[in-house]
Amino acid sequence: MTRGTQISAVIHGLLALWVLFGAAFRSDPPEMTVADVTILSEEEFAALTAPQSQPSQPAPPRPEARPEPPPPTPAPEPTPAPQPPTPPEPQPAPQPQPEPPPAEVQDTVPQPPAPEAPPPVQAPDVSARPMPRPAPRVAPEAVAPPPPEATIDTEVQQAADPDAQSPDTAETQQEQTAPQEAATEIVTEAERPASAPTSSLRPKARPPAPQQVVQPAPEQPATPPQPTPQPEAPAPTETAAVPRDDVAAALAEALAGGSSPSADPGPPLTVGEREGLRLAVQECWVVDVGSQAANVTVTLAFNMAPNGTVEGDVRLLDASGGDGAAVETAFQAARRALLRCQQGGYQLPSDKYEQWKRIEMTFNPAQMRLR
Amino acid sequence: MIRIVSMLFVLMAALSPLSAFAQTGPLRIEITEGVVEPMPYAVPDFVAETADAQQYAAQIARVVAEDLTGTGLFREIPQDAHIARVSSFAAPVSFPDWKAINAQALITGSVGSDGNGRLVVKFRVWDVFAQAELGQGMQFVSTPDGWRRLAHKVADQVYARITGETPYFDSRVVFVSETGPKDQRQKQLAIMDYDGANLQYLTGTASLVLAPRFSPDGSRVLYTSYESGQPRVHVLSVGTVESRILQANTGVMSFAPRFSPDGQTVVYSMTQGSNTDIFAMNIATGAISQLTSAPSIETAPSYSPDGSRIVFESDRSGTQQLYVMPASGGEAVRISFGQGRYGTPVWSPRGDMIAFTKQNAGRFHIGVMRTDGSEERLLTASFLDEGPSWAPNGRVLMFARETQGAQGASALYSVDISGRNLKRVRTPAGASDPSWGPLQ
Repeated sequence: MTRGTQISAVIHGLLALWVLFGAAFRSDPPEMTVADVTILSEEEFAALTAPQSQPSQPAPPRPEARPEPPPPTPAPEPTPAPQPPTPPEPQPAPQPQPEPPPAEVQDTVPQPPAPEAPPPVQAPDVSARPMPRPAPRVAPEAVAPPPPEATIDTEVQQAADPDAQSPDTAETQQEQTAPQEAATEIVTEAERPASAPTSSLRPKARPPAPQQVVQPAPEQPATPPQPTPQPEAPAPTETAAVPRDDVAAALAEALAGGSSPSADPGPPLTVGEREGLRLAVQECWVVDVGSQAANVTVTLAFNMAPNGTVEGDVRLLDASGGDGAAVETAFQAARRALLRCQQGGYQLPSDKYEQWKRIEMTFNPAQMRLR
Repeated sequence: MIRIVSMLFVLMAALSPLSAFAQTGPLRIEITEGVVEPMPYAVPDFVAETADAQQYAAQIARVVAEDLTGTGLFREIPQDAHIARVSSFAAPVSFPDWKAINAQALITGSVGSDGNGRLVVKFRVWDVFAQAELGQGMQFVSTPDGWRRLAHKVADQVYARITGETPYFDSRVVFVSETGPKDQRQKQLAIMDYDGANLQYLTGTASLVLAPRFSPDGSRVLYTSYESGQPRVHVLSVGTVESRILQANTGVMSFAPRFSPDGQTVVYSMTQGSNTDIFAMNIATGAISQLTSAPSIETAPSYSPDGSRIVFESDRSGTQQLYVMPASGGEAVRISFGQGRYGTPVWSPRGDMIAFTKQNAGRFHIGVMRTDGSEERLLTASFLDEGPSWAPNGRVLMFARETQGAQGASALYSVDISGRNLKRVRTPAGASDPSWGPLQ
């Protein structure tokens, strides 16, 4: 035998031994569940089996959304011999949510309750359209008819309170007045409802809300607020870094002009302030919807005094949609509205007088024409 | 390019805070909604300048107020609410006193005599809040028996100055006066002022009369009479109350006549055999031209104000509908497509609307639509409304309304084209078939 053969034989022999007695074909033994076993007597087993009829873990939520009626109270069992009073058991800590009532344990995934079929709608799907109420006055906002004893006035006044304290003025009893009845549109005889609607649509049942399963929100690791990345300023180039002289001049001129206190008109009127003026005038703008003037849009120009009254003449700036007579009528109606509703002056902010010193007001009856 | 954009950016950034505060012009406000309500006005009794004018001073002011208030566009402020008293026509007006009672318009006037027994009425109209006169002062002269016309004239001027529209108070209405029960009703032509005053009868009750129509100048009346046993078109002179048959052909029925705007032509329906068509006749020459030749019933023709077109009713589509054709005849275009039946169309004096009678679902309506049939609006609804007639200014419609039952009676009503101000016209007896004449 050569030396090489000897070495090979030794190696193979070692390999064979390792295969036979080593770990190559040995499987790990199966893990075994080890449980502690206690030998019980029959009495002990019977005593233990009674409470074991209840589930040891909370049942899944019942599919029915409605809570079941409480189980009937069991009839009182005959009282055994008086027992010594048992010591009060410690009350369980209040749970945030009561445990659901016991239910049968199912090994299938509970299905959400099938939505109940909505009750059949017995009323017709179509109901009579509520008809507007005819009224002698048509205004943007409807006003219910006042009680018959009420005094109608163009300006609603509250009754004077005799108990109210006034520092230096004599109390004059003021009659309470009511706003004039108004509807929002013209109702002709042909459009008046003959009677109340005979039926109306029954509201349909709401679909059952999907059952909510409270899932514990996974805890999010508190992340510190990240600073908003600021856009990187562009690298200054030669153009931006060195503004030209004309740009600088224009900028300086604009800044100089804006900083002049005499030309600063102050902040503009707010939307509410503009709306207040608009609403105040439109309440007095009487439109004859059947006339040719109802086709005319006029623009009036006028100046205002600091106390909110119209100052000087009201000029017709522009008109469209009609001939000379219709334009003149539309202008008169608009001017009348402007002058009639100003009374002691329109409610406008005095600190913004420069903003409303000159006004151009357009009266456009397009939305009020007969259709 | 980058350079320019950068410069603009710098400029905008610098000027943007300034532009927010900049006042570029006057404050601009747009009013798009107003109110529809009668305008309050005041008309004190006119000042009597002579003793014999005393009895008319208050009466004329009352008629003026009734005319204006009757339109539904004005509301009179009662005289007991007046603060200022007008004692002289030339006295200055105390505007604060009239503002205080919210009078937007004021009418002052006087009644005097011209020395020849005729009344002289002067008046002025004031815009109280503008503290200015509307128009100029004016005066009318008439005999005392025409004092109501004087009042209507004043009211017409006031109406025109405030609304900018042509008025209609000094106008008359011809209609069929009805008396007796339904099964024995007697009908005769009558004429009255638009408000029911000064009623006169033009025909007797011996024969049935229907559908009178004023000529454009108000001097003649066309109507249909059964005097000969068949319906025939007659023409009556209002001044002389003389009438004659317009079309001499015998054996035919003619009805539903109406004048052309120039008063030279009469368009009417004529039944020959079992077919009814529309014909036009030149009054001066008697020449007749046939305008329709369909096998259906065509009737109730009415000219457009410019005389170029005619609207009429026809059942050629199977139901009674409205059609428009050229005045010389030719292809007709249907303009009514709503549910129900349409009839008695009348073209508005303004030319922009057509009034009609509509029957639908067991009720009758008076309605208006554009001349192309669009924007149909029903103004009334009742057991029986029919026969609309336009006021001279195209603003008001008068029609006949009959109540239900054996004792039902017919009466005249008027309504504004907006559908407001529906009211009954005062007549001494039953009335139907109104025709509103021109402004005098």
